[in-house]
Amino acid sequence: MKRKAIAVWALMLALVMVVSACGGKDSGSGDKVTIKMMHLWPEGSSKAQYELVQGIIDSYEKEHKNVKIVTEILENEQYKNKLKVLSGSNSLPDVGFSWAAGFLEPYVKGNLFAPLDDLLQGDLKDQFVAGTTEAYAVDGKTYSLPVELNIVPIYYNKEIFEKNNLKTPETYDEFLNVIKTLRENGVTPITLGGKDGWTGSFWYMYLVDRLGGSDLLDKAIASNDFSDPKLIEAAKMAQDLVDMNAFNKGFNGLSNDEAKSEFNNEKAAMYAMGTWEVPNFTTNTDVPQEFRDKIGFFRFPTISGGQGTSDTWVGGPGVGLFVAENSKVKDEAKKFVSYFVQQWGEKSVTKAGVIPATKVDTSKIDLPPMFIELLNELGSAKKVTLYADVQMKPVASEEHHKLVQALLGKEVTPEQFAKKTDDTLKAGK
Amino acid sequence: MKVAVQAGVHRKDAASRSIASKAGSTILYIVLTAIAILQLLPLVWLLFFSLKNSREVFDLPPLALPRHPKWDNYSDVWSAGNIDRYFLNSVVITLVSVVLTIVLASFVTYAVTRMRWKLRSAVLGLFMIGLMIPVHSTLIPLFSFFKKLYLIDTQFSVILSYTAFNLPITIMIMLGFYAVLPKEVEEAAIMDGCSVNRLFLQIILPMTLSVIMTAAIINMIYNWNEFIFVNTFISTDSLKTLTVGVQNFVGQYATNWGAIGATLMISIMPILIVFLLLSNRIVEGLAAGSVKG
Amino acid sequence: MDRVMSNKWIITLYVLPSIILIMAIIYIPIVLTGYYGLMHWDGVSSMTFAGLENYTTLFKDGVFWDSVKHSFVFALLSTIALAVYLIVAMVLAGNIKGANLFRKIYLLPMLLSSIAIAQLWLKIYHPTSGILNTALVSIGFADPPAWLSDTKYVLGALFVPILWQYAGFYILIYYAALKNIPNTLVEAALIDGATPRQIAFSIKLPLITEVIKVTIVLAVVGSLKYFDLIYVMTGGGPNGASEVMASYMYQKAFRGFDYGYGSAIGFFLLIICLVATWIIRKLTATKESIQYS
Repeated sequence: MKRKAIAVWALMLALVMVVSACGGKDSGSGDKVTIKMMHLWPEGSSKAQYELVQGIIDSYEKEHKNVKIVTEILENEQYKNKLKVLSGSNSLPDVGFSWAAGFLEPYVKGNLFAPLDDLLQGDLKDQFVAGTTEAYAVDGKTYSLPVELNIVPIYYNKEIFEKNNLKTPETYDEFLNVIKTLRENGVTPITLGGKDGWTGSFWYMYLVDRLGGSDLLDKAIASNDFSDPKLIEAAKMAQDLVDMNAFNKGFNGLSNDEAKSEFNNEKAAMYAMGTWEVPNFTTNTDVPQEFRDKIGFFRFPTISGGQGTSDTWVGGPGVGLFVAENSKVKDEAKKFVSYFVQQWGEKSVTKAGVIPATKVDTSKIDLPPMFIELLNELGSAKKVTLYADVQMKPVASEEHHKLVQALLGKEVTPEQFAKKTDDTLKAGK
Repeated sequence: MKVAVQAGVHRKDAASRSIASKAGSTILYIVLTAIAILQLLPLVWLLFFSLKNSREVFDLPPLALPRHPKWDNYSDVWSAGNIDRYFLNSVVITLVSVVLTIVLASFVTYAVTRMRWKLRSAVLGLFMIGLMIPVHSTLIPLFSFFKKLYLIDTQFSVILSYTAFNLPITIMIMLGFYAVLPKEVEEAAIMDGCSVNRLFLQIILPMTLSVIMTAAIINMIYNWNEFIFVNTFISTDSLKTLTVGVQNFVGQYATNWGAIGATLMISIMPILIVFLLLSNRIVEGLAAGSVKG
Repeated sequence: MDRVMSNKWIITLYVLPSIILIMAIIYIPIVLTGYYGLMHWDGVSSMTFAGLENYTTLFKDGVFWDSVKHSFVFALLSTIALAVYLIVAMVLAGNIKGANLFRKIYLLPMLLSSIAIAQLWLKIYHPTSGILNTALVSIGFADPPAWLSDTKYVLGALFVPILWQYAGFYILIYYAALKNIPNTLVEAALIDGATPRQIAFSIKLPLITEVIKVTIVLAVVGSLKYFDLIYVMTGGGPNGASEVMASYMYQKAFRGFDYGYGSAIGFFLLIICLVATWIIRKLTATKESIQYS
């Protein structure tokens, strides 16, 4: 028995030692520089972006033989978690991705991100679409460089519309009529994943925009004052949509993915989502061709008597690259970031169907028509209002998600919605 | 005479009891089987959905068979990224943690239940408090802790964490068993001049085989499926475990359900096999244990 | 005998390594959580001392108290469920053919990770294509509720998969405990003319009291700090209808960048678990543990 016990202990010890030894990293000696990078496009689900990133890394390593780039890849939710934990002990990776405004702020306050203005004045001068880098600036300094830019159209199934003799609506009244007709004919008009509050937020934001003009929301958030009656009216209009049964059954308990599948399976006629979905309606061969051919988009309709026009969009930059302030290889990391942004800008549209935040020359690329139309819309847009939950600080942002879900679930009145938003904004967190 | 009468009475009672119990036991079987079907449903579903593509998963009813079994969900998953490495890591981490936990827990439980000392309730309480801390509260403190010890990004950090967090529950499971072990065995052994170590290792420990097996299964299941610690403490891809590998298939805006299904099936296979094997051992252990009298 | 069994060196040897381990890995986070709870901290930038401000906010936080209520509802339901598990285990531990098979099947759900279970039940509860609602529609309920988005039903709906996940665990523990009872005792009782019912209540039950007490603590504490399925399936919504303490804590600390407040919630959760455990021990205290004569 004793001998067996000793054997077991020895085996365990050996295993542990082997395992720890394997865990040791090569810290790179001599002139070799190792850059640690974290991103959120796992190969299994975001293959296009993953390969794009790998391609950029490979070519950078080829051009700079003394540099090795090590990646850690996590999906969205886990990525945010891990970033949080790492920042709690000041161990951020050299290069990573961040979201704008409210997300970015605590990191800047905590001195965790390095300012990247030198890159903006250097190689990347004038490359970015107007208004994109501003979302990543705090006190005049830019801390992250965006690689994604999206707007939110309403996608619709052309075949369903034709079957029901419907045209794409331009005014809100026409839109309501479309919804009514579809419902009467037994078709789910709009699919929405209410559990993910940000999807409902798109609808609310558009209603605010069309009703009160494109600056109303920005001003309200910036001044921590959510008392404008138009904001309340927009909330009421959102609830009216729910009352008309505009959305899919049980939408408030469904995630965006589950809701999306109803659109993809032609059970719902309309779906409001960002332009990151466009590849699924154009180039993605996993999606049946005949479905892709049926999809079009239209702008959010205008409200008569409202101050918004149809050429303003909800949207904005997505994730942006940051460099850790305490990175031991800061200069090299910055060089890499600059390289990355440029390469990404050149290749992301064609390779991944992702619109970069840097300017894209549409004349030179061969793209599906929907893509080009949307790129043109983006180019000629009067304004792109940044997503509310990105503009708000983290606590307010989370609260906003919950409030939108509650609003659409008729758990709060429009007045309560506005008041609670006002309260959280004023709490300043 | 009396014995014969008693025996006769018993036989009559037994007869009437057995008719009632036959009806009762059919109902019992029906109920038990119903419960069993409810429990089996998930595996069946998992198998089906691992062979579907994303659209079928949402479209067809959960138990419908896939139109064309998409076996390449499995091959995609296996090749698309390091699954074999993750698999190995899961095995190593699980095994080492389970062995460590059971060894440490056995020693503690024995000391707390069978030895005499003033502080034993207090120490037991100390372990029980470990049950009560919510996992997410520990991430940031533990990360800093391991980082200072240079254990971050090693499997050791995960192994130590699993062991520490499983000790309370393992000890609690073992408590009930240790407490009712007969005292005579110990008294006899000590009378014979046995040292405590020998008494514990050679006599008592073997008597607890059934609870060791039970605790082993429970620990294994927890460790194998655990996610948050691995995700937080380990960054190097080649050290990650299977559950983290599954997350690789959950994307930012899209989700590859078929691949998730395949990965889950792959991840459940080993634990299922071990479970079935160990289950039989439990029976042997229990049988051996109940012979004592 | 007493002298041998109170050998300080042995006790220390057996217990100290484990104590050191949990001190490092469990108690450091507990202390730090308490500490962070006294700070204003977003988890990223610097901390400022807040004193008891987080706690005073906590007491006024309606959403938090709703989450406490929900956690306690789960705890209560889990404890009641234990009685059912006990009965099933007793049936299995009796001489039922196929008990082994049943036992293995019942444990299967536990082999799945929480992610898998969450995905499965999300599909089951899907408002239009879920197996539950399609079945209800087919037997005549025209408009069954959307279980996870209806605040009236969401809590109950969430409880079912949690129940189902842990049924096998508790059945296993009770089964092993029952099997540990020496057969001779049961046989002796049968010869004395005891009915199965009397045997169950007067003999088996008292002998596994320790184990039952342990499972009550496990069930209650486990329910109070439960997180996994709730977060994945509903995120605590809609509108906080299914929020529990652990999910609220996670949301505040990790999503809301309010790590100080989140830690206060975590620490409070810890205290609640402690108090609950203490109450349970007081309510279920017996004079001394029962031993075989």
